Amino acid sequence: MDPLTLGALVALVTILVLFSGVSVAIGLLIVSAGFLIIFDGMRSLELMPEILFGKLDNFALLSIPMFIIMGSSIASTRAGADLYEALERWLSRVPGGLVVSNLGACALFAAMSGSSPATCAAIGKMGIPEMRKRGYPDGVAAGSVAAGGTLGILIPPSVTMIVYGIATETSIGRLFLAGVFPGLMLVGLFMAWSLYSTWRSGEASRLSAGSYTWAERFEILPRVLPFLAIILGVLYAMYGGIATPSETAAVGALLCLLIAMIIYKLWHPAELWVVLRDSTKESVMILFIIAAAGVFSYMLSSLFITQSIAEWIGTFDVNRWVLMGAVNVFLLIAGFFLPPVAVILMAAPILLPIITSAGFDPIWFAVVLTINMEIGLISPPVGLNLYVINGIAPDIPLKTILLGSLPFVACMVIAIILLCLFPGIATWLPNAVMGTSI
Amino acid sequence: MASHSSAAVARTGNNPFLKTVAALSTLAGWCSAGMIVAAVAITCQMIVIRFVFNGSTVWQTEAVIYLIIAATLVGLPYVQRLRGHVNVDLVPISLAPRARFAMAILTSVLSIAIVSVMFWYGFEYWHFAWDRGWRSDTVWGVKLWIPYLALPIGFGLFLLQLIADLVALLLGIEKPFGLEIG
Repeated sequence: MDPLTLGALVALVTILVLFSGVSVAIGLLIVSAGFLIIFDGMRSLELMPEILFGKLDNFALLSIPMFIIMGSSIASTRAGADLYEALERWLSRVPGGLVVSNLGACALFAAMSGSSPATCAAIGKMGIPEMRKRGYPDGVAAGSVAAGGTLGILIPPSVTMIVYGIATETSIGRLFLAGVFPGLMLVGLFMAWSLYSTWRSGEASRLSAGSYTWAERFEILPRVLPFLAIILGVLYAMYGGIATPSETAAVGALLCLLIAMIIYKLWHPAELWVVLRDSTKESVMILFIIAAAGVFSYMLSSLFITQSIAEWIGTFDVNRWVLMGAVNVFLLIAGFFLPPVAVILMAAPILLPIITSAGFDPIWFAVVLTINMEIGLISPPVGLNLYVINGIAPDIPLKTILLGSLPFVACMVIAIILLCLFPGIATWLPNAVMGTSI
Repeated sequence: MASHSSAAVARTGNNPFLKTVAALSTLAGWCSAGMIVAAVAITCQMIVIRFVFNGSTVWQTEAVIYLIIAATLVGLPYVQRLRGHVNVDLVPISLAPRARFAMAILTSVLSIAIVSVMFWYGFEYWHFAWDRGWRSDTVWGVKLWIPYLALPIGFGLFLLQLIADLVALLLGIEKPFGLEIG
């Protein structure tokens, strides 16, 4: 069988196996084992544990549990609510300040916690009732928080970006920087839409903001600044060339835990264990998918599938933007069903050679891919964020949440188009900070 | 939806086998969490030595890598018990109860088969390293059977938890895919 037909067969079998409900990592191992037995013989099974171990044998992977500990210790505190309140107090004079501070709090908290569902829960619990009380339409209130929560996988530090960096062997530092301006652009688009649709609903005149004294504004800062300072410190240490992402993340994890214990009084062993247990659960899940995807990509390349697909695409004389469009559609569909980490790990080894040979920048592509994954987080059938919002605001019908999120999906599509027209939005910052050579 | 299954923890009923496996998996989870904490501590110690005392480090980087690998592998049974391995349960949700049960048995048996393979060849790989006294080609030169031990232990306990899940499913203690809705 020629490698291309084989590739199509692998794709089909993988889809069937994953949709059976088996866990993603195990599914990848099953598919890999099956094809290796048929085309390379039983003996190739012997290699699987060795390859799996080898894929995990990488110091960069340490940054994954470390950033997860940072995020979950922040998420276990009241930091989300404090952040929200701080922005509300500081932005109360800005027109539509509430939705602006909501989205701002989402962006900041999503960046700090790195978790979409945690962001939706933390900000949404305060933000959604407050927005509804002040006359914002339900759809805008729910949709803005759902969409704001997805920013965590784009704005640094992002575990998703680390996984992409490891899967494609691109610089994690560059990837983090590449996410900054597209992240801000998305926040801007989200804000623009929220303000526009609120104004259009005719409720804008009622949107009065609370007023706060300067004492109230300063009083809240000591509770939100430490976490922000740690995140900025971690990023500074990374770019100052002081330490590797893994090392700075370990220090950041320790500091975030300490701050959660000191400022938020999270010192009871049972509470600390919850943070540690959740971090362990999340880290093990992601690392196991990374390891299994490593075995999967070993199978793909030992059966010459990866190489043949790249060559095959090369023989097409299609416009590179048509190719990029097709890749986007593929990613979008995959993102509807699979968690971002799984999509990246399965798709990156196949897509990267195609992307680079068509002359696209892998760092820029990471941003486009990530925004595609963000769309998946607020679209059915998976749309984790939609269900989280439904859980914290049960009286808003799921349909309203869904319809409210749709315009934000459109904002993301616009962001992808803008990135295609002006790749510099993503690539300028990493090049300016770290030089243009890859 | 592709998410953690709705059941938070694997149920054991009053079955002694299920309870024993659950206890073992939880113990493995504590070890896994402990190794992650150790990795944080060692990395911080390494940074202090390098940047505060300007010293050089020998074993830390390698030790941290092996700790994370071991935390991953030994953590597998615990994460399985917490239903933390993500899956796509879109199809199982939409199936009729009997078909869903059959699907749950099928995926369970397939999982057990592949994890048995990983356990068996993981054990062999570890045994090679032990027999031939392999050492890592670094300054530290650690005996490789120590980190490789995580392969048979992790996959062995994972296998046990998967078998327990199948037993719970067959005994009706656990619902297929942990789904409550009929």
